[in-house]
Amino acid sequence: MSFVKCCFEAGEGHDFLDSFVQKCTDPGCCCGCCSALRPHYKRLVDNIFPANPQDELVKSNMEKLTYYSLTSPEKLDRIGEYLFQKASRDIYRRRHGFVIIAMEAMDQLLVACHSQTLNLFVESFLKMVQKLLESTDPQLQILATQSFVRFANIEEDTPSYHRRYDFFVSKFSAMCHSNHADTVTRDKIRLAGIQGLQGVIRKTVSDDLVENIWEAQHMDKIVPSLLYNMQTAEKYETVSCMEGGSGAEPPARLAEACLRELVGRASFGHIRSVLRPVLTHFDRHELWIPNDFAVHTFMIIMFSIQAQYSYSVVEALMQHLDAAGSGGTDPRARTRVRAARATVLSNIVAIAAGDSVGPSVLEIINNLLTNLRSSVARDSEQKETDEKLYQEALINALKEFADHLPDFQKIDIMMFIVNKVPSIQRGNKGTKADAMLQSILLKSLLKVGTTYRTTELSKAFPAAFLEALLRAGAAGQARARALLQRILHTLLDRRGNAQRLQRASVDYAELGLTIEKCSRQDLIFISKHGYALFSSLYEGLQLESNTMENVEAIYTTLALICIELGSEETVCDILQLILAIQQSGLSNPVLSVAQQCQLQAVSISLAALLPHVMMLPRLAEYIHKIIVARREEAPHLLPPLREDYDDLHPSKMPNKLPYLMMDLMALCELLKAAGVEAARLSASSPYAAGSAAAPHRHSWVEAGAAAGRDSLAELAAPATELDSANSSPGLQRQAQYDDLDEEYRMFIEKYNHNHRPSKQDFGTYRSDTDFWYWDHDDVPAFRSKASSVYKQTQQSVYKRSLQTWYSMNILGRVQCHVSQRVMRLPAPLFLSLRHVQRDTTCDVTLKANFCVHVYRRSCTHVMTILGRECVKRCINVFKLGLLVTCIFVNSSTYVLQFIYRSPYCQVQR
Amino acid sequence: MEDYKFLFKVVLVGNAGVGKTCLVRRFTQGLFPPGQGATIGVDFMIKTVEVDGEKVKLQIWDTAGQERFRSITQSYYRSAHALILVYDISCQPTFDCLPDWLREIEEYANNKVLRILVGNKTDREDREIPRHIGEDFAQRHGMYFLETSAKEAENVERLFMEIAVELMEQAKCKELPKYDGSLGPINGKTTSVGDSSCCLR
Repeated sequence: MSFVKCCFEAGEGHDFLDSFVQKCTDPGCCCGCCSALRPHYKRLVDNIFPANPQDELVKSNMEKLTYYSLTSPEKLDRIGEYLFQKASRDIYRRRHGFVIIAMEAMDQLLVACHSQTLNLFVESFLKMVQKLLESTDPQLQILATQSFVRFANIEEDTPSYHRRYDFFVSKFSAMCHSNHADTVTRDKIRLAGIQGLQGVIRKTVSDDLVENIWEAQHMDKIVPSLLYNMQTAEKYETVSCMEGGSGAEPPARLAEACLRELVGRASFGHIRSVLRPVLTHFDRHELWIPNDFAVHTFMIIMFSIQAQYSYSVVEALMQHLDAAGSGGTDPRARTRVRAARATVLSNIVAIAAGDSVGPSVLEIINNLLTNLRSSVARDSEQKETDEKLYQEALINALKEFADHLPDFQKIDIMMFIVNKVPSIQRGNKGTKADAMLQSILLKSLLKVGTTYRTTELSKAFPAAFLEALLRAGAAGQARARALLQRILHTLLDRRGNAQRLQRASVDYAELGLTIEKCSRQDLIFISKHGYALFSSLYEGLQLESNTMENVEAIYTTLALICIELGSEETVCDILQLILAIQQSGLSNPVLSVAQQCQLQAVSISLAALLPHVMMLPRLAEYIHKIIVARREEAPHLLPPLREDYDDLHPSKMPNKLPYLMMDLMALCELLKAAGVEAARLSASSPYAAGSAAAPHRHSWVEAGAAAGRDSLAELAAPATELDSANSSPGLQRQAQYDDLDEEYRMFIEKYNHNHRPSKQDFGTYRSDTDFWYWDHDDVPAFRSKASSVYKQTQQSVYKRSLQTWYSMNILGRVQCHVSQRVMRLPAPLFLSLRHVQRDTTCDVTLKANFCVHVYRRSCTHVMTILGRECVKRCINVFKLGLLVTCIFVNSSTYVLQFIYRSPYCQVQR
Repeated sequence: MEDYKFLFKVVLVGNAGVGKTCLVRRFTQGLFPPGQGATIGVDFMIKTVEVDGEKVKLQIWDTAGQERFRSITQSYYRSAHALILVYDISCQPTFDCLPDWLREIEEYANNKVLRILVGNKTDREDREIPRHIGEDFAQRHGMYFLETSAKEAENVERLFMEIAVELMEQAKCKELPKYDGSLGPINGKTTSVGDSSCCLR
């Protein structure tokens, strides 16, 4: 024996050894003499080998061996060890035939024996597999892999805790990257590698006590190996998860199936360890651009991962958005990669949406918005078109995500986004970045909004959301405002009419609008929020910076409101608004001629829409008459809107054509005839001065206030002086302008700080005050500078301040600011309110109306005063009450309560 | 045969095209493959050598030099006993990258790993890095240094033998980093395997 061993160890004398071993395996020869000395199991093992290595396993002897190992399982480990030694020797001698037979025998034993006894046998088995894998022969490597896979599919009931798969993972991963010269062999080796990895995963993944496959050292090998095989596929077609390893399929498909299995088995704690190598691999191999493979892979991950964890994939990818790729230094390349990653994100985010709940949703949204913001910050530094792509992709991701959320969450998300919109500070021109961020966030909002299906308006517009929307709409540049209108369109438009109402028109019959009756809930909604909505839209129309896009967008919004909310209850409000718009188109001096004409066209279009929504044949007739007349005489007052009306003859200016306007009185009568309560319409509108003056239109037009623009602007100058002087004498003037928007600030600077000599000239003032029917007592005082205003008696100051505010109201665009600023100092206005009530020469209703309008935010105070004053003087209690009620529908009970409580009122009643 | 006493993992790293695969091929198969293509991912070879009458099995992991495979190759550093950092003496950029490689090794490999700097391709006429520069660099960073030529089989055998000797010494002094699996069950039973090898007549 020592001789034999010595010979083996020396590893020389091949010929001799060969012949010896040959003899040894031949039962009839060598073993004939020594078989008696050998243990029984060795003899059985030797007997399964055929004499000729080309022959197959000796089946009958193999059965004997199997029977033996089943009956005496304690011998199994020795059988395994002996088989392994024989095979090692055969590998060394390159007699692969015997190696294959040994492996086959081991496989059969493995399958045949009971699992309890397998444990020690498996040691030898795995040693055998490793030995085969270490050889350079592809055939043996593949054979070893097959055996390993067979082993991996066996369920062991006593896992071996000391067994390690480190080598197998390393070697199988190396095989996955095989670069064998022959393509067929190469594919076979790669396939074997993937199968092996799959086997390791199956073997280890289910039991936490055995080797932790999720450790970075394994995942860093397994995941890139799978991805490497997937990325080389010609096209990335998705296979079903259930496809097993039949061996005939290309490596790419098996790799994909394996990845699915791996991801599908990952628990929450392990997802990161899979995703990290995936992301690194994409960076390293520069697979983000083009990104179809990235999309494909992430889709696979999203579909295979346990649904409740899917958002963590989104999270990981989002965190990776900004990570430096292998591209490294070139900022442009980085931006492109970032954009590509964001596109991938937008592709998968929808899948996550269905299973995301609670905070994770907002976290994702917040993360996206943060990325958007940092992108905008970068973008404003350097001009990059790639950055735009990135932003688009992010916004798309946002949309995709929101699209798959339930509707109530969409509103939450919109609220969230709208609160992130930077408010461009009035009076200080927001930075370019702010403006960009605003428009980008509004774009995101629009995208989210399009995914929302409005059923009930009150649900689509919770009070806080509506308020935030309208606030955002008041500030910002023309583009941003138009965007905001589009958001309103998507949310308002339940019946797909928005597209048809893009352009103003008077011929609605051919548009094929879908009109349904307004529901009860919607009526409640509009009665609650109608005023805020209408006045915001009205103010939106009064801005000097409006482009045609803005005007048309607001038109569409209003038209949609007409269709969605048109009913007998709302028709008065809508008509009131229409008239106000018409009036502002005549009298608002800051508007250009084009804007004025556009407003006329908008108002007539809206008026023409009303009879389509409701049964108002006489109104239709009336409007039609005006339209026909305008068509003859002033087609520029009809839609379609035009960018410029330069060629307009002065005599064709809107305010020269009073007889082509809609008349309040006429409308009132028409409504009454149709059985609609028109009292509210005639009770003068809450919108600025324009509509309030409507009944007197002719008089002022005839007074020739055509050039009202300049004079009124000047008129506003002392107004602001007064206002600020009254409101906060102690405060710095500059600070007060914070609230004002850019236009208004410029306006004030122009007329206050850079005093022009002509400022003193109020040549046209009288005609305007004529129009206002205001008492003229204080006109001289009015002309004086603001400083001297202080010296006036208190009463006249308040009177004048009121007057001035009133005049300023003509500039509808500033009225909001006025009211805001007045809010700071309620006391003077309270007094002026009283003054209004005392001043019996004034049209009480008119003025009170104004005050209420200015005071709309602190309505309860106003009503307290109004109520008290009115009751005291028994002036028009009901009229006033009605007025107040219509404005403050929310808190009307308060007023009524007040009036009813007052003893005098009871008598009156 | 299977009666090896020690199993060591040796990983070759270095820029693409410095001749890592050729070194391994020369050592394990004794041949110099002309026109050897770029390695993809990782390649694996095994070679058993004898040191002081004891068999030592070297698992040689030959990594791809290309940047894109860096993530998978890094995962192989972790369990290495010895790292052979190869550069091409006729190519300055491959030498200039050495600090980067060291940083990577620092980050991913065990800090006790045996590091050997190898300047390959000494057969080339157009040497750009003088021997002493490489030596200096190796000394500064506490590495062994050797210049080899896979083509001429110069120093290749010596390189791996010295690694085996050094690692064995370390192993005997118990300084060798222990990796799960590497010296595990498969290796742990080698002595018994050796004893029971062949027939127990």
